[in-house]
Amino acid sequence: MTTFRLNGRDVTVDVPDDTPLLWVIRDEVGLTGTKFGCGIGMCGACTIHIGGRATRSCVTPVSAAEGADITTIEGIDPEGNHPVQQAWREIQVPQCGYCQSGQIMQAVSLLKDYPSPTDEEIDAVMAGSLCRCMTYIRIREAIKKAAANARGDASNG
Amino acid sequence: MIKRIAAAIVGIGVAGGVGFLAYAWYPAIAPVAPPPPSTFTAAQIERGRVLAAGGYCAECHTRTDGVRGVELAGDYKMDTPFGAIFSSNITPDPETGIGHWSEAAFKRAMRKGISRDGTQLFPAFPFDHFTHMTDEDIDAVYAFLMTRQPVHSVKRDNTVGFPFNIRLEQAGWKLLFLHEGPLKNNPKQDAEWNRGAYLAEGLSHCSACHTPRNLMGAEKAGAPYDGAPVDNWIAPPLNDHNPTPVVWTEDEYFKYLRFGSAPLHGSAAGPMSPVVHGGLSEMPESDVHAIAHYLAEIDHASTRVSQDPKALAWAMKASMKDLVGPQVNPNAKLYAGACAACHANAGPQPVEGRPDLALNNALWLDEPTNLFQVILRGIGTTEGISTVSMPSFYHSFSDADLARLATYLRATRTTLPPWNDLEKKAADVRKTLPTPPVASSH
Amino acid sequence: MGRLNRFRLGKDGRREQTNLSRRGFLVTSLGAGVMFGFARPASANQIFPLDKALPGDGAFEPTIWCSIAPDGEITVNIIRAEMGQHIGTALARIIADEMEADWSKVRINYVDTDPKWGLMVTGGSWSVWMTWDVFRQAGAATRTALVEEAARLLGTTPDKCTVANGIVTAGTRQISFGDIVAKGHPSHSFTPEEMAKLPLKPASERRLIGNAEIKALDIPAKTNGTAIYGIDVKVEGMVYARPKMPPTRYGSKVRSVDDTDARKIKGYERYLIIEDPSEVVQGWVVVLAKTYSAAIRAADALKVDWTPGETIHTSEADIQDRGRELIKNRDGGVYIFNDDGVDQAFTSAHTVMEQEYTCASVLHYQLEPTNAVAFEKDGVYEIHAGNQWQSLILPTLAKALQVPESKVILRSYLLGGGFGRRLNGDYMIPAALASKALGGKPVKLILTRSDDMQFDSFRSPSVQRVRMAFDGSDRITGMDYQAAAGWPTGVMAEVFMEKGVDGKPYDQFAIAGGDHWYEVGAFRVRALRNDLAEKTFRPGWLRSVSPGWTSWGVECFLDEVAHRQKKDPAQFRLDLLTAQGRNKGEAPDSVGGALRQAAVVRRLMEKVNWGKTTLPKDTALGLATTAGQERGMPTWIGCVAQVHVDRSTGVVTCQKLTIVVDAGTVVDPDGAKAQTEGAALWGLSMVLFENTEIVNGLPVDRNLNTYTPLRIADTPEMDIEFLPSTEKPMGLGEPGTTVVGPAIGNAIFNAVGVRLRHMPVRPADVLRGLQGS
Repeated sequence: MTTFRLNGRDVTVDVPDDTPLLWVIRDEVGLTGTKFGCGIGMCGACTIHIGGRATRSCVTPVSAAEGADITTIEGIDPEGNHPVQQAWREIQVPQCGYCQSGQIMQAVSLLKDYPSPTDEEIDAVMAGSLCRCMTYIRIREAIKKAAANARGDASNG
Repeated sequence: MIKRIAAAIVGIGVAGGVGFLAYAWYPAIAPVAPPPPSTFTAAQIERGRVLAAGGYCAECHTRTDGVRGVELAGDYKMDTPFGAIFSSNITPDPETGIGHWSEAAFKRAMRKGISRDGTQLFPAFPFDHFTHMTDEDIDAVYAFLMTRQPVHSVKRDNTVGFPFNIRLEQAGWKLLFLHEGPLKNNPKQDAEWNRGAYLAEGLSHCSACHTPRNLMGAEKAGAPYDGAPVDNWIAPPLNDHNPTPVVWTEDEYFKYLRFGSAPLHGSAAGPMSPVVHGGLSEMPESDVHAIAHYLAEIDHASTRVSQDPKALAWAMKASMKDLVGPQVNPNAKLYAGACAACHANAGPQPVEGRPDLALNNALWLDEPTNLFQVILRGIGTTEGISTVSMPSFYHSFSDADLARLATYLRATRTTLPPWNDLEKKAADVRKTLPTPPVASSH
Repeated sequence: MGRLNRFRLGKDGRREQTNLSRRGFLVTSLGAGVMFGFARPASANQIFPLDKALPGDGAFEPTIWCSIAPDGEITVNIIRAEMGQHIGTALARIIADEMEADWSKVRINYVDTDPKWGLMVTGGSWSVWMTWDVFRQAGAATRTALVEEAARLLGTTPDKCTVANGIVTAGTRQISFGDIVAKGHPSHSFTPEEMAKLPLKPASERRLIGNAEIKALDIPAKTNGTAIYGIDVKVEGMVYARPKMPPTRYGSKVRSVDDTDARKIKGYERYLIIEDPSEVVQGWVVVLAKTYSAAIRAADALKVDWTPGETIHTSEADIQDRGRELIKNRDGGVYIFNDDGVDQAFTSAHTVMEQEYTCASVLHYQLEPTNAVAFEKDGVYEIHAGNQWQSLILPTLAKALQVPESKVILRSYLLGGGFGRRLNGDYMIPAALASKALGGKPVKLILTRSDDMQFDSFRSPSVQRVRMAFDGSDRITGMDYQAAAGWPTGVMAEVFMEKGVDGKPYDQFAIAGGDHWYEVGAFRVRALRNDLAEKTFRPGWLRSVSPGWTSWGVECFLDEVAHRQKKDPAQFRLDLLTAQGRNKGEAPDSVGGALRQAAVVRRLMEKVNWGKTTLPKDTALGLATTAGQERGMPTWIGCVAQVHVDRSTGVVTCQKLTIVVDAGTVVDPDGAKAQTEGAALWGLSMVLFENTEIVNGLPVDRNLNTYTPLRIADTPEMDIEFLPSTEKPMGLGEPGTTVVGPAIGNAIFNAVGVRLRHMPVRPADVLRGLQGS
């Protein structure tokens, strides 16, 4: 039995301790916005937040999340209107969209650490988020847009 | 973390002579009826609870292999080069625990390493440190243990073979290495230092893991806190031999011991995790400060700390290496894809919750053991920083991948010579994990 | 080449000439349910915007392509797969623009398989090009029918009515599309001939086509976790499955299976040895478990002993050597062009230039590993999965399941990346057969990443031999282009192969691009089918297919010729793009011919100030241009890459890509840019960052620990421009890929004088070149 908070609700699951959190979230809880990509923690599609920090759920055993506060793409904003999500739509970032939950979760976390990220900081922190459609130019633009929106830059308002 | 102390069972085989036997022989202390809880005051029991935590009693007296045992009911398995030792039940169960132990019997065990029935205890039980505790503290621990729920639990038999199973040998060991009695106050130091010394050297027995041991398994007198292997990890040096670029200051020690993470050094993982989260977390903050204060004196932090800004600036630059702009080096790609999202720092100092590898203990030690342990196991929410989690890359990386990663990090995030034989070392560390931590795919 | 739109697979797999635009055209009002014969809750997931549903009772369905509900909501049916192109939004614009619909009321519906849709395929950058005429005519027919009924309701005649933004106006009176449906009974049937004659809006009056303000309807769902992909399908009572892959793609036979250790895994149920009558899936074992996590572990624990197939020791070098051997042999192969006088041009040449170019295997690594859910319900097998070529795999599934095609239906989902991987639906077969073995019970089969990569339908390695003949004054008198590779269409869709000038079938997707638009005198193009490649793996269509590698040979070679003749490589190309003979182009697809490619090159030269800039040491520009995917559907495109070469490490850094495109009319400007960004970066990834190698019959890379596609930090600055055009729209999903490799190769030569003829570019090769020079 493992208990954690998921998007603000307490969840208890009865699965083997070594079950990857990804499959617990997708198949036991039923939130499928978090995706399976590489399965080895190198593509970022499965990124969720544990204790507010971006974490690859495909290689995190559920036991390592005991008592954790977990947020998935479905939980970063009740209306799906987190500033990063808004910027993503404004810039029309997603193509196939499969990696984008993870990209957004990583970007939210990036902006927490670096509220006005430089290209270098974006390169480094987003390095683990693979986009096979190669929407990188727009990801970079949308992160800056979200940062600007959060700062309330008039020019970007 | 105490497992490695078990190596100390090898005592002095044939010290010989009647004199020795006289020295080694202790009578049994008569069994007593289990004392009723009213024997102890609530304050005493509470004090004992905190001390028991700070001495990590439950860590070594609770079974963890196969099934999770009842706390303090013993049967914790310690693998030693001489065989397995199983710890004893220290709940007050009369038949299988310490229910019949008088306070005097308990005190003798803590001070001299002698069981109630007079047999020698293996120094896997760190009586060489507990001996330094005050009577008052030992009594409090006794009060705490004797007021626990008795658990009927028979431990498995030790598999230590002849001649090491001759308990009498332990007496010789004590003759050489046990410095019995409470720690003396050092008048040249302030009260906080003395408190820290009392805790670190006695109750919390830091050097039991962080000081290398001699052939007989005793801590080397000439190398206190020089660091040593422990349970397939490395307990890093706590003195000024610690190789990290930034000094372990009192503040770093405090954050590490209190919250499981030192921002400029890394998180408490592996055997150190229960020390923080299972032990010291119960102690008053002032006691943790005292330990930190004491340890910072041991590593002469104050005389070295002036180097830190330069070292930090260097580390922050190293942290971003190969992460900006196009990159085709396969090892750099491996790091960027798997690690950088959580570990890259743009400076001027690491962001809280972004453990920086250029500052991390694991990269600067002589061996890659801890690095491989952490990558393979990950760090759960009950370890390290308790709200966050690091995944397990057990199935993600082959031993060759681990070797590539270690080679790359050592070369780019430290100024030290390369590690060697990495693929084999990765395989060796992998073998120490009883089961894969996560059922992921490749 | 590439007239795929004219054909669809008939029920017996024969080629059946059915032009999409000639489908029967019924205009009649129908109730819900009848209208879409596949009501299902999950279908709601494939309607965008996501909060919309299928129309209710009383909707007017003027064609199979769209319906108008009494509340005015317009549903456009999309038979293409959504894999990042926002194709539904693009296609819906075409029909809605012609119809004069109110865009805010338009929703798109990604449909399941049904014979009425005709050929369901999404690839080749065809979707807009294939749908353009059909949807404009359908839009016009809908508008005509609605205006006729509006005129009746308003008591006037159609010629007195105007229509705009979903409202029909006659004088001072107005009625909306919704009210026309609610209050009237629009009905009108058109013969295909009548439909073709309906007046279409002139380009100047388009409001939705080319409108840069319109946002993709599928994007919001892709930012909040609500978008449903194949891997997200959940069916009551389903069991999870993971395949255990044999050691060779073909011919491995299961000798024995031992599940002693697998049985120790909690949740493990059983294994199945898959026997596939369609022979696509050979020697697979499928592990079933209560959870996917258990299936992963159990498959690892299952011990299977195989007799491997004959390619167990085949290497990439073996396959390339076989390609060289095929090229060397004058017999065999298929001639795409074989002009009179080629041999004479070479025998009488003053000089002959010849080079060999090679390209490595490349994996798809679409981010969503292949997966499928299969079950049987009321005698019909339902396969739920993202797929690009339903019409191709459906007959194969029927064969595998040994049921008629009418007993198989494919449910459509979003694709977590296509890139051609999901044109091959092989991954559905083990799911379907596992379900069949369990009496129709739902099975959700997911390949782990390494499973997916092991049996990817990857891009075949290839060898190109390019020769050119020159007369005494260095004038080009002939060209001989030959290429050998595994043929994806040959292996998976033989009936779709084109016929060469010698009447023999060939895979257009394994030679296109070799048949360029330059004037080179007598020209021969020969395609060789690498049989060893096809025995070893299942060659696949990978983003931009052959033009992604033929361009490496053609465009690098042209640069070599230009340098040899001491001519500016851009001007040299312009001199050859003169639109003579077969290169003059034809309506409607290639109006203007090679001159449009020349115009792209000129604009590119302007943009980068070609030949007039001074760059730092070891930094230079390189140019390449292609006609995109195929001669029958040319997207004229050119790229200038700016690279820097580090002489000490051999590392090549691409600093900037400038791209100019003439794709005819651009329906979705932002989407077109996004596709070109992605396609170009895919091209960059293949030339500098990713490739694999066949070792012991399989691709050596199985995951991102060793496979290293382009990531965000590798992304250079980009400048993309579309030339204004009102010509028929061509494709955009892939052309961007074709130009980047050779532009980089040519830039490297301009930077440090090293000519590389193998793709990818590896630092070691650059260093070797530097040492040699």
